[in-house]
Amino acid sequence: MDLLESWALSLIVFLPLVGALVALAIPKEREEAVKQWTLLVSVVTLILAVVVAARFDFGAAAGFQFEVDVPWISAIGANYHIGIDGISLPLLVLSALVVVLCVIYSWQHWDEPRNPRAFLILMMILATGMNGTFVALDLVLFFIFFELVLLPMYFMIGIWGDRTMRKIPGFRKEVETRLYAAIKFFIFTLFGSAFMLLGFLALYFKSGSGGQQSTFDIPELIARGHLFEGTFAWLVFGAMFLGFAVKVPMWPFHTWLPDAHTAAPTVGSVLLAAILLKLGSYAFIRIAIPILPDTARDWAPAIAVLAVIGIIYGSLACLAQTDVKRLIAFSSVGHMGFVMLGIATLTEVGINAAIIGMVAHGLITGLLFFLAGSIHHRYHTREMSRLGGNLKLMPVMGGILGFTAMASLGLPGLAGFWGEFMALLGSYQPLPGLSTSFFRTAMVIGAIGTVLTAGYMLWMLQKVNLGEPSSEWAGKEFQDVDRYEMAAWAPLIVLIVAVGVYPRLVLGATTDAVVGLVETAFRAVGG
Amino acid sequence: MPVVTPGWYMTLAAVLFVLGMTGVLIRRNALVMFMCVELMLNAVNLTFVAAGRAAGVLDGQVAVFFVLVVAAAEVVVGLAIIVAIFRRRETASVDELAALRG
Amino acid sequence: MTRIDWLAIAPEVVVAAALLVVLAVDLFLPRERKYWVAALAVVGTTLAMVPVILMAVSGDNYSMFGGSYVVDDFALVLKGVFLVAGYLVLLISVSYIESDRYYQGEYYLLLLSSLLGSMVLTSARDLVVLFVALELTTGPLFLLAGWRKGDLRSNEASLKFFIIGVLSTGLMLYGMSLLFGLTGELSFEGIREAISTGGMASEPVLGLAVLLILVGFGFKVSAVPFHFWAPDTYQGSPPPVTAYLSVSSKLAGFVAMLAVIYLALPAATDFWGPALWLMAAVSMTVANLSALRQSHLIRLLAYSSVAQAGFMLVPFAGGAIAENGLSEGLGATVIYLVIYAVMNLGAFAVVIAGGRRIGSYEIADWRGLGSYSPRLGVMLAVFFLSLAGLPPLAGWFAKFVMFRAVLISTGPAGVWLAVIAAVNAVVAFYYYARVVKSAWFDQAPDEIPEDTETGPTGPLSLAMGIALVVVLVVGVFPGLATFFGDAAAALVP
Repeated sequence: MDLLESWALSLIVFLPLVGALVALAIPKEREEAVKQWTLLVSVVTLILAVVVAARFDFGAAAGFQFEVDVPWISAIGANYHIGIDGISLPLLVLSALVVVLCVIYSWQHWDEPRNPRAFLILMMILATGMNGTFVALDLVLFFIFFELVLLPMYFMIGIWGDRTMRKIPGFRKEVETRLYAAIKFFIFTLFGSAFMLLGFLALYFKSGSGGQQSTFDIPELIARGHLFEGTFAWLVFGAMFLGFAVKVPMWPFHTWLPDAHTAAPTVGSVLLAAILLKLGSYAFIRIAIPILPDTARDWAPAIAVLAVIGIIYGSLACLAQTDVKRLIAFSSVGHMGFVMLGIATLTEVGINAAIIGMVAHGLITGLLFFLAGSIHHRYHTREMSRLGGNLKLMPVMGGILGFTAMASLGLPGLAGFWGEFMALLGSYQPLPGLSTSFFRTAMVIGAIGTVLTAGYMLWMLQKVNLGEPSSEWAGKEFQDVDRYEMAAWAPLIVLIVAVGVYPRLVLGATTDAVVGLVETAFRAVGG
Repeated sequence: MPVVTPGWYMTLAAVLFVLGMTGVLIRRNALVMFMCVELMLNAVNLTFVAAGRAAGVLDGQVAVFFVLVVAAAEVVVGLAIIVAIFRRRETASVDELAALRG
Repeated sequence: MTRIDWLAIAPEVVVAAALLVVLAVDLFLPRERKYWVAALAVVGTTLAMVPVILMAVSGDNYSMFGGSYVVDDFALVLKGVFLVAGYLVLLISVSYIESDRYYQGEYYLLLLSSLLGSMVLTSARDLVVLFVALELTTGPLFLLAGWRKGDLRSNEASLKFFIIGVLSTGLMLYGMSLLFGLTGELSFEGIREAISTGGMASEPVLGLAVLLILVGFGFKVSAVPFHFWAPDTYQGSPPPVTAYLSVSSKLAGFVAMLAVIYLALPAATDFWGPALWLMAAVSMTVANLSALRQSHLIRLLAYSSVAQAGFMLVPFAGGAIAENGLSEGLGATVIYLVIYAVMNLGAFAVVIAGGRRIGSYEIADWRGLGSYSPRLGVMLAVFFLSLAGLPPLAGWFAKFVMFRAVLISTGPAGVWLAVIAAVNAVVAFYYYARVVKSAWFDQAPDEIPEDTETGPTGPLSLAMGIALVVVLVVGVFPGLATFFGDAAAALVP
């Protein structure tokens, strides 16, 4: 089965792209054929991902498996180097899964101006970018995939996005939300990644200072970590921080997120929340911290402060929202704050918390955006003041919404609990050398954040689910959850429970890899 | 009686060049601007000749021939353009031409 | 000495023969069969590729006329680029020129003359050949810019271009004459040796000469602050000519600059390094900020080409700062030039095709293009976003090597220039995206423009197709483009 070893990851990455090219050849009118084809492609990709997970050697999760390393742009020393370890495996599977669910969900739900073929093609390109980012082990390759996700998302938001007119501060005329959101999303991310690229190049040149060949290879750069020190490392970390933090997004770079989420079509929001946000935090764990561990320690308090501000700010902002979707978007800022707080502790517990938090957030918030989309589909509004009594009108959907909100606020036994709990636990005892009292303060503030999270989630439930339906819906028939929705949501619900009850599902893969990472990076300090 | 060294020619050329350039920048009649460019090119020729003489090589004079020929070709092109414009506008002032604005 | 290697000058001979045939045949062809002229021009350009490829395969270098005319890897690579760019421009021109039906013969004659000039330019190794070749490149373009004789805007474009052109020639020539006065040499090699043996690297006169030459080139490549002619000339000229101006004529300016700077003046980095640093930074910033305000597509592309010139200047400055950075800088600029040539021609081809259908170059009038003509819409998105430098389209690699060349030196000057370039890349994205937004996100007008193309559309589609394939393939396998950079970088002594 060597063939599988060497080809599985490449197939997972490029199969969707090939699928997109083939879909291009199917006539536009044959919508069913296009849908079936993309479903087939994405399911095959998922199966491959599951096979990879099944054949993954969990005893050696700290090292890279399924590695492929062939020359790509030899003139600049960039290789096509891919592989997975315990950190990327759960995220890769999550990404493959969410794409399948999105295809299923969109079977019957098309935002104007429809055109399923174009939409599905964009989704497949997006899948290539996301899967590629999680397996790339070369900085140039990583950069390409990291950027590749921008274009499809830009078009998704810009073409199928929210068409309501909005007044934008600083502009005289009203513009359509989608137009503003699409360009803002793009400019913010591009700004960050331009600096990230400068950081990558600086690493490349510095890596040659030991008399060896300069390299973009991530494992190789980790091994040469001692070459990067002082102001140089500080600046490079700063450049990469800009790129990753915008993507996460961390406060104060988060402002693109609520706009993009609100404006994006349902499936776009789901992909954005479930996978795209993880690219940033994953990059911190994969690139910034192992290559520049000492500098990471200098930056950790700053990251922790921004993370905590994000948690509190996100929660408070949620309480001010009137739009369900926007509320969920702001809740993402808070949840990603916990992920970043976990990372900032630089401990095994904290980084494990970040990964399980990422997976849980992907499952839960993905589901919440699906629900928000379906609610909008039924009521044609997302204003919470007009909703209400959802549980009476559509019992099943109301039930699922209640369940997901509980998961989101971190109810023990469901997936959301572990990320928050372990992040706080990690900050109780951060990496030696980091100020304990500082991180314990952060822990306390973070704990207050969990209370606020519970507050706004329950408040949202009360507004949307409970009470009597408003009189404007009287006498209207609402179709409860249809079978496509059920098919798309059931796996998420099952996984939320499964990860909640049995966190080893994720931690089993990640722990060894994280321990290895932390030990290599901070041996000198910790030992 | 001072000896006239190549330096004198170079200085004269510099003066001519500055005069020509000033003319191009401040005059507004296309024909006059064009004449000023010729002044600049002739300053170039003078420098080439003087420098060639100072270095004791013929390269300078050779270069001048090429400059002269190209300048003559450019005169043709330039006058053709000016004539085309004059036919339509009866003027050679560049200020009158303002259909395109940045 | 006097032996002439006919293979070495075969590409130029073929193009020269083609232009003479065009001139002669044009006299005898009846008006309705003038399209044969276009076919002849295309065939001539294609044939000229043959000796270029033969020489590239054999790998020999040729030096003629006392070393004034050299065919080496640098020359071959750029001859190839000029021929391909010329070929694409010819394809783009056919439908436009055919539909106007006058002065067809002259149009192709002038275009081929300019192409001939730029091909000679790549081999020029002394100041006189360089000067003559550069004038042969730009001279015909003065006339082409004013090709629509009856249109006042075309007249104005032509006059502005002409006056700026001769002014810049004058400045450049004066710089060259000073350089000759200082060193007593005309060949690049002689100048380089005279400067290093004579210890003249810090002579003030050398500084003056370098600056004058740079100002001259600055006009040719339309870098800020010598760019102001470009938007007016671009807008007023016939669009296919504008495509040629923004690619081949800019390329010619850069090739001349590469040869002079890297072959003749590598020792004078103290003068041209800071000057080009400044020119690059100002070009990118000013042009990008001006482009943000444009509502006319061709003016937007004009400012974009000024900004791109700024990006191309960045490796010069980077190479000047770093030790041994010269060959890296040269390679980076050549790679950028090659990629820019293809994607910019692609963008112009789309703009011309769309402009003929829509009848306007106002960005607002292009709204909804993607909904009624997805093919053009996709092309538009690909080329404009490639110009913006988004992976996986070829433009990303151009930007990548540019950043790479400037970051080779870790000094603050290089880092600052890299940061300025990075910010500008983001700003530039905004105006490219505005065009894409108009074509894809905005509602189509109530009256969808009918496809009323009368001339042949095949050549234009072929040009777009070629550019599209190159942009996509080079974007994914950038190794193909590094070949050009490596070959050209061998020029650095």
